[in-house]
Amino acid sequence: MPMKLPVPSGWPAPYYDFKKNPLTLEGFLLGRKLFYDERLSKDSTISCASCHQQFGAFATFEHSLSHGVDNNLTTRNAPALQNLAWQKEYMWDGGINHLDLQPLAPLTATNEMGATIAKVLFQLRRDSAYLRMFREAFGDTVINTQRMNRAFSQFLVMLVSATSKFDRVRQGKDSFLLPEKLGYAIFEQKCSSCHKEPLFTDLTYRNTGLPMDNTLNDYGRMKITGDRKDSLKFKVPSLRNVAITRPYGHDGRFFSLLNIFEHYRKNMIVTPLTDSILQHRLPLSNFEIGQLTAFLNTLTDTSFLKNPLFAPPGYVITPVFIHRH
Amino acid sequence: MKQFRPPVILLALLLMLGMKPAGHHPLVLRFQNRVGNQPLRLSEQTYLNQFGEPFSVEQFKYYISDIRVTGEGQIEERLLNESHLVDEGDSSSLVLHLSSGLSGIRTIRFIVGVDSLANLGGVQTGDLDPMLGMFWTWNTGYVYARLQGESDSAKSPAHRFTWDIGGYKGPSNAVRVISLIIPDQNGQQQDSMINIYVNILKWFDGKQPLRIATSPVCHQPGALAMQIADNYSTMFSVGP
Repeated sequence: MPMKLPVPSGWPAPYYDFKKNPLTLEGFLLGRKLFYDERLSKDSTISCASCHQQFGAFATFEHSLSHGVDNNLTTRNAPALQNLAWQKEYMWDGGINHLDLQPLAPLTATNEMGATIAKVLFQLRRDSAYLRMFREAFGDTVINTQRMNRAFSQFLVMLVSATSKFDRVRQGKDSFLLPEKLGYAIFEQKCSSCHKEPLFTDLTYRNTGLPMDNTLNDYGRMKITGDRKDSLKFKVPSLRNVAITRPYGHDGRFFSLLNIFEHYRKNMIVTPLTDSILQHRLPLSNFEIGQLTAFLNTLTDTSFLKNPLFAPPGYVITPVFIHRH
Repeated sequence: MKQFRPPVILLALLLMLGMKPAGHHPLVLRFQNRVGNQPLRLSEQTYLNQFGEPFSVEQFKYYISDIRVTGEGQIEERLLNESHLVDEGDSSSLVLHLSSGLSGIRTIRFIVGVDSLANLGGVQTGDLDPMLGMFWTWNTGYVYARLQGESDSAKSPAHRFTWDIGGYKGPSNAVRVISLIIPDQNGQQQDSMINIYVNILKWFDGKQPLRIATSPVCHQPGALAMQIADNYSTMFSVGP
């Protein structure tokens, strides 16, 4: 059954090419099953949803670095998964150039799900439920990397978050409280050149004066481009659902919004490679921090967080994840 | 019950299905991977490179794409649009069965690597399935060629050297176009079979010297990958 991506009013056209991978309910349901299937990992302990939890806007709730199989820690904080059809590149460093390819990275990384594509496909081909669902989604029971990942994408593009209080206010269906309104004005003046509406990110990579952690040695974008100027640049994260996607930063080093504000107004290590608009840090008064926080809370989209369509098959909402590792 | 005997007409139909369009003839491309003058033996044998560095080879693979030939009158014909993975560990991949409408084939041209569209177009199938491992998942792109083995000269862990060469963006585009002239003296025979000799030793000095000791690992696009791609672009020749 054909499905349509819900494009919120006033948003640009999505970037994802649906001609190559037409959305159907069957493809979406298959992608959702894959997303929640722990058997995709090396030892059947971890699914995509282990680090991308619906109640945390598909980030990991209150975990700084993502966990992998065999007691592994990764070097990055799992980003929220939302509005992915509007992005061209994925990962904190933008290393992956197509949504269909994205799942292969966590699937095969030895410190994440630790699987091999061949073994995952082998398992899927032995499972009658998957054989049926691949036939329903793609017309026959051929299971290959391309089909598996196109199904993943069909689920992932549907994770659209655009029904927060902010969106309702924008559509004239609600109104800001005074602190929210003041906070929005401050936001537009001091934050919105990078955290651009409607995605609340301009999808660029920027050096925001984060000192490098000498245990992670993560140079970000430079690893992808090989260009020194890209040292310590990371993707500008969306601020949608920001109140519940803590901890923050590519390595989850900031536990709360207050930590972030302190970083921008005081703790930034400014170098010539730091973003040009942050060369004098980002002065913020205590008053401004209070109003900004009030505004950022209006970006929480509870209908997205509790949408039963995105919950595991058979659940009405995502059960709170019990971390076993 | 009577034994099934296929009627003659069915056999004739099957024969016709196997036939190529008029004027086309089969053309077999054979890749013979070698180290200098010796045939390559995976893992079993230790070779010496030009700098006296000993090495053995565990994996030797490369993508061949967009194969074209020219025949009499400089007419060009494209024989293969897609990418084909030559893998020394899979003997069936060393022989490519193509068909050509040209006679008196003078040159063959192909690229070592994968078209940038395939690098940008999401998950591919067949020889380009990322499942085959010739793909970087964390920094999207195909590995165009891989030479991997052990060498006492490599100071990397377990003395392994791994050269994975790829890159499709601007200055790190490691795709190389190979043009080979088919020797005259072989004349007609070359219309049905072209033997391509592939000499691994060229990885070490095809254009610039490259020692295992100094660069045992190449795992990403960039200057080193470009240099190695330049070197191996000279490894092909047409043999008898």
